[in-house]
Amino acid sequence: MTRPLRSQPMRKGVRGRPLYGEATSGEGVEAEREEFSKLLKAWAAPSQSLRLSLLGPAAMLKCGMSGSQVKVFGKAIQALSRISDELWLDPSEKGLALRSVNSCRSAYGCVLFSPVFFQHYHWSTSVEMNGTKSNLNCKLGMKSILPIFRCLNSLERNVEMCKIFTRSDKCKVVIQLFCRHGIKKTHNVCFQESQPLQVLFEKNTCSNILMIQPRVLAEAIVLFTSSQEEVTLAVTPLEVCIKSSTEESMDLNSSVYSEMFVGPHEFEFFQIGVDTEITFCCKELKGMLMFSEATHAPITMHFDFPGKPLALSIDHMLLEANFILATLADEPSRASSPQSLCLSQKRKRSDLAVSNSKIGKKDNKAMESISRKVAPRNLYADEILSNISALENSGSPIMKRVNSDTEEEPGSSSLRKFTCNFFRAVSSDQGEHCYNPFNSLATASDSEEEMNNSSFYIF
Amino acid sequence: MKFRAKIADAACLNHFTRVSCMVAKLARTCTLRIRPHTLNFILADSAAGGGGVSMWCELPQENFFSEFQMEGVSEENNEIYVELTAENLSRALKTAQNARALKVKLTNKHFPCLTVSIELVSVSSSSRMVTHDIPVKVIPRKLWKNLQEPTVPDADVSIYLPVLKTMKSVVEKMKNISNQLIIEANLNGDLNLKIESELVSVTTHFKDLGNPLSASENESEDRSPEQMAEVQVDIRKFLQFLAGQQVNPTRGICNVVSHKMVHFDLLHEDVSLQYFIPAMS
Repeated sequence: MTRPLRSQPMRKGVRGRPLYGEATSGEGVEAEREEFSKLLKAWAAPSQSLRLSLLGPAAMLKCGMSGSQVKVFGKAIQALSRISDELWLDPSEKGLALRSVNSCRSAYGCVLFSPVFFQHYHWSTSVEMNGTKSNLNCKLGMKSILPIFRCLNSLERNVEMCKIFTRSDKCKVVIQLFCRHGIKKTHNVCFQESQPLQVLFEKNTCSNILMIQPRVLAEAIVLFTSSQEEVTLAVTPLEVCIKSSTEESMDLNSSVYSEMFVGPHEFEFFQIGVDTEITFCCKELKGMLMFSEATHAPITMHFDFPGKPLALSIDHMLLEANFILATLADEPSRASSPQSLCLSQKRKRSDLAVSNSKIGKKDNKAMESISRKVAPRNLYADEILSNISALENSGSPIMKRVNSDTEEEPGSSSLRKFTCNFFRAVSSDQGEHCYNPFNSLATASDSEEEMNNSSFYIF
Repeated sequence: MKFRAKIADAACLNHFTRVSCMVAKLARTCTLRIRPHTLNFILADSAAGGGGVSMWCELPQENFFSEFQMEGVSEENNEIYVELTAENLSRALKTAQNARALKVKLTNKHFPCLTVSIELVSVSSSSRMVTHDIPVKVIPRKLWKNLQEPTVPDADVSIYLPVLKTMKSVVEKMKNISNQLIIEANLNGDLNLKIESELVSVTTHFKDLGNPLSASENESEDRSPEQMAEVQVDIRKFLQFLAGQQVNPTRGICNVVSHKMVHFDLLHEDVSLQYFIPAMS
């Protein structure tokens, strides 16, 4: 399709990002851009100001931190790097959220820094022609951002100010470290446009809640060698036991079995409603522990029965961290793998607004598939479906709504968000028995998957 | 077969942990021999993957354990031989740094284990119980003959070792040049470590080390003090031996049997360690 020369600046504005191929743009967005270019062709002399007035400002994030804040920020990134190789930067009025999900969807981490954590914090959504808002959808590779926040102790000493700036129409995040002796380090990290995934988990409904100082947990975790991937947490109202996970199928002859008992009095808050034993991956817990030691705040664990995710959270004045880990389900018939979490994707309003019919159809299909699979076999079907409605209605803790668009129509929200808390994987007729299957039904709609499936960065 | 023992003193626990860590660095899998008065960590030269290296470590149990009870395989053979992964034991012991008490016993939970139970003291001065079950393999009587104390060879030269840390830093660098290290020593207190490649040869000389009085006086008379006895060994095996020594021993002797092997005899306070490296063929 030929485009008039004048429209090229506009195209850069809309899509001044590295090319990922067609996979990055969902059909809805592509249609939108076609619309724009058609509109502009109609104009004789589109100018810069016209472009701006058509598009509105781009989604933007601008914040600054002092040296000691950089240390905490860097620790958060390091902790999230234990979960996966990708990090979302997700600003909102609640603050800047850093999110990470692992590839098999069995662990999710989110650290939300409130605006008062920063020296200054500005953000905005982009407002597009049809009035819809969209957020900065920024996904970074851990490999690019981790090296910037290495040697945190020396960063804390040397950095006077750290500024982070990005706009959705630029293709990069600019991180500037203003250090002592007038040294200024600038890092340009390219990002991929991608909607952050979030896990919606109503941790307050869990029967078991434990709050403990990170040091105690760290002492327990040290017992387990790194070769032991999974640990089991066994609780009764009288005691808590952290032990090596014992799998029938594993060859036990080579590994040491360790266990540690912690009495209720060592916890700052101890509520056990249900005697249970849950098994989860040690690696992500270690990441969370590292971070909590930096914040000096206790860790709260919310959990229930095996199969239901475990939430580890830190609630601090200036930040809130949540790590959601999938736990092994109890049934012997299942392949021994942690159940994956169910994720939802925030939808761009524009998608729905512009190509409602297409996406609407997919929504329906997916919803159908959920109810089809959930209803007959799933023991927790009722709970899940009621959770969906509960989540729509209940006041949201930070975890659920990352971008609370106030203009959201309640009617469309059930289509837009697949807010299923899957406490066990899909039924076995799916036939997926790889070690860590992506069993979540929230594979959302095809277009969303395409948008986020591209995995190459062009820097 | 029964074994149960308890360590109640922090210093003893520390010392035992250090011994265990040293053994873990020297051997991946080793044999633990339990006798009424001694404990031994043994690596036989016939051990697979050992490369002919052998180790014999002995410690008197009374210096470590406040309680010690054992019952061997039978009345006449009042000993227990078990095989374990040395690192498992050292890791378990390392978690006991703030322990009030540590108990070790032989158990059978689905398979034989050495169970280490630790009573940790937490900040709130309440105890926390930690248990490690280390899987072990009981060694049958017929294989015991391979695991006896090796005879100390008649060395051509016996010499006291220099500071191990110095030797280690020197040999570490030499490893990049060649795999074959020549250890030579004489009765004049000189010890040389030599490596050679096509382009370069490097020798480090240690002087005035002193020689222990040899058991057989005849040998030392025949030999001129300047004459070097040499043996060529795999540098990596020597390095592995040095890596296991975190602290300098109370006493360290090197015995060179020309072209056959080198024998290191160390004493760390009350723990004796003997390490044999065969000559490279």
